[in-house]
Amino acid sequence: MDTLNELMGGFAAAMTWQNLLFAFLGCLLGTIIGVLPGIGPVAGVALLIPLTLNLDATGAIIMLCAIFYGTAYGGTITSVLLNTPGEAASAITTIDGYAMTKLGKAGAALTIAAVGSFVGGTVATLGLVMAAKPLGELGLLVGPPEFFALMVVGISLLVALAGKSMVKAVISGALGLLIAMVGIDPVAGAPRFTFGMDRLLDGVSFVAVIVGVFGLSELLSYRKGTTTPNVHAPNLRSLLPTGREWRRSAPAMARGTGIGFGLGLIPGMTGSVSSLLAYGAEKKFSRHRNELGKGAIEGVAGPETANNSHANAALIPLFTLGIPASPTIAVLMGAFLQQGLTPGPTLFTEHSEIAWAIIASLFIGNLLLLVLNVPLVGLWTSILRVPTTILTALILLFMVIGAYTINFSVFDVFVMIGFGLLGLALRHLDIPLAPMVLTLVLGPLMERSLRESLEISQGDFGIFTSRPISAVLIGLGLLIIFSPLLKLRKPKALNEDPET
Amino acid sequence: MNTRSRIAAALAAASLIALTGCGANAGATNAAGGDFPKKGKTIDLVVAFSSGGAVDTAARLIQPILEKELGTNVEVINKPGAGGQIGYTQLTGAAPDGYTIGATGSPSVVVSPLDPSRGAKYTRDSFQPLGRQVIDPTVIAVQPDSPYQTLKDLLDAAKANPKSMTASTTGLQTGEHFAMAQIQESTGSEFAPVHFSEGASQATTAFLGKHVDILVANVSDVVDLTKQGKARVLGVMTSERAPALPDVPTFKESGYDLEAGTTRGYSAPAGLPDEVAKKLEAAIQKAIEDPAVVQKMQDLGLQTSYLSGEDYKQYWAGQEEDFKKVLPLVQKTD
Repeated sequence: MDTLNELMGGFAAAMTWQNLLFAFLGCLLGTIIGVLPGIGPVAGVALLIPLTLNLDATGAIIMLCAIFYGTAYGGTITSVLLNTPGEAASAITTIDGYAMTKLGKAGAALTIAAVGSFVGGTVATLGLVMAAKPLGELGLLVGPPEFFALMVVGISLLVALAGKSMVKAVISGALGLLIAMVGIDPVAGAPRFTFGMDRLLDGVSFVAVIVGVFGLSELLSYRKGTTTPNVHAPNLRSLLPTGREWRRSAPAMARGTGIGFGLGLIPGMTGSVSSLLAYGAEKKFSRHRNELGKGAIEGVAGPETANNSHANAALIPLFTLGIPASPTIAVLMGAFLQQGLTPGPTLFTEHSEIAWAIIASLFIGNLLLLVLNVPLVGLWTSILRVPTTILTALILLFMVIGAYTINFSVFDVFVMIGFGLLGLALRHLDIPLAPMVLTLVLGPLMERSLRESLEISQGDFGIFTSRPISAVLIGLGLLIIFSPLLKLRKPKALNEDPET
Repeated sequence: MNTRSRIAAALAAASLIALTGCGANAGATNAAGGDFPKKGKTIDLVVAFSSGGAVDTAARLIQPILEKELGTNVEVINKPGAGGQIGYTQLTGAAPDGYTIGATGSPSVVVSPLDPSRGAKYTRDSFQPLGRQVIDPTVIAVQPDSPYQTLKDLLDAAKANPKSMTASTTGLQTGEHFAMAQIQESTGSEFAPVHFSEGASQATTAFLGKHVDILVANVSDVVDLTKQGKARVLGVMTSERAPALPDVPTFKESGYDLEAGTTRGYSAPAGLPDEVAKKLEAAIQKAIEDPAVVQKMQDLGLQTSYLSGEDYKQYWAGQEEDFKKVLPLVQKTD
């Protein structure tokens, strides 16, 4: 009851017209920044912090939070329309999002993404209100061994992403792990696979790889003349999802919310892990899993919901423990500190009115984002009315700018082009691309947690099976990996899925 | 149709390559320094540790004042990993034109080039120190429900059963790792180090979740945790008690004559034009000594202790001599 009263107080504080204006401006600026390729949430929030310095603490934080999830949504727009992810977390959305665009369903994809973002964000914020403290403590249960076990579950979804040939999926996954190894060894500090190139010490840029492997390689495969670019400008009716699309999206959004929320609580997990695993989950569990990759609405709804649910859930460790769970949250934490607020449990005792006003504004911001973006879907999709010849060139332009602006480095442009060629080769060989992206994201996190775990146990691998949470997770991972084998042993007549 | 789109794509690619080429050239020619900093050209402040840690927080606190002093954008960029080596490599690899500066902390920046196995591509001479900001002493903390009430209890237990307790560091050969080696060498008490190479917030998270027994950290990392009752600090490795932790005895008081801590400051890649260095040094001094920044640093448990670029350089050289002596300890214990 107390909580509700305080939340109502928070709403009262957040609903002043100034604060509503700040939330609105934040959403708008965030969306625009998100649309610009290469500038993701981290750089976006960091760039706009100076704008908020002269505001009072509540207004400033409200605006920054709004910018923060505005950018998360804006990144989706270019993923869907131009096959170029505006930020890493919406990279996986390009697969089905852009496929939908080619089918003339860009409007439906964007609307579903906006609604999914709203659902994921709102549910996660409810979690923050109802049970922030126990949830924050829950995140702490995940130590290095549990983190590693979670990564095993993640890698096991490779099976789901495999498509026709398991061997080809493993090749793709191994390639991703290999690419993830490039750079300085995170524990011993020795350079690996850098071939003496300083630029490679940081590893290859994830966004550049994704833009190359998915976007550029597809563009290059048009040029071969095997497929023609087939982008339909949407008509008005197709701007809104059909009833069937709504029904198909609902379970995907539910799964996405759960995955994003759970992973968002864990310090050190990134939003791209959430969206990737949500995509993997759709591939594995959706009733329409065979359509994924060819423009299925689930492939947009799942990852986009997970992404926003993750972003809002990641605020829970910040509010309860003072721990920034992701790079973007850390930038927000810097803004808190500049306003003289120390995030953590003391925030609720020392500045309780500000804390609750911010939480209330999270609800308002999520709603504003929806109200702002659904009417704009028509505007964004009108980009597609540009003639194909020009649009193709524009997409290439966006890809190059996107790769360049990650680190303002021409090297990344070449990385993007190189991986575009690699992607083209893999497409030729019929090797699926998604497993590579999965291992590329999970690889570094997996390596780090493995090595930390073994330091804790002083070299004993038993640590993964002797701890209950990690044992269960590893068991789950193995189950997912071996479930196709179990299915194979069934008589053919009982096999529901003709493609396996 | 196809041919046209092919030509259009090729044209776009060509014009872009030309454009990016122009951008790179424009960047290279204004290194003379007279007009530094150009308005609208962003200065990158490279932080070699993850966001949210003490180094990052300090950099983010001085950032707005640097912007005001220099009249252009200053952007904090986190390049964590390998105990700072990734960020330092990026910093020293950048053009010495003043548009890339970085937070430099010891021991990481001093030690990483000393050990040849780490393959660092920089030495002390690759940096141009611009100013020292703080000294942050090392502390040892245990879980609130730990049976050990004093430093002596803990160290005696670790001596009786070496490596029976895990202790966090923020990476191989970091300040925490050095401190543990110093303790082992002078008392024979040995902990099993767990290296959290992503930085202090990762180490703290693991400690809060009770995945490691002992938190070896800096004063600034534990002030808030102590207030919340989530950690019990047993000793500070300085000659005098830390103002932020007035109730915690020093190692010296407990009978161990050991001092350790990390130092943080700001540097540029070596070879800055004099005029640029002067402007940056002045802006950094202003920012470090700004009363609001000093106050906020104090709230975080950090004692401001400014040194000019030249003095910081001397101090750095002195530290290098000291660390060379204890380096085998850190290599030996791992």
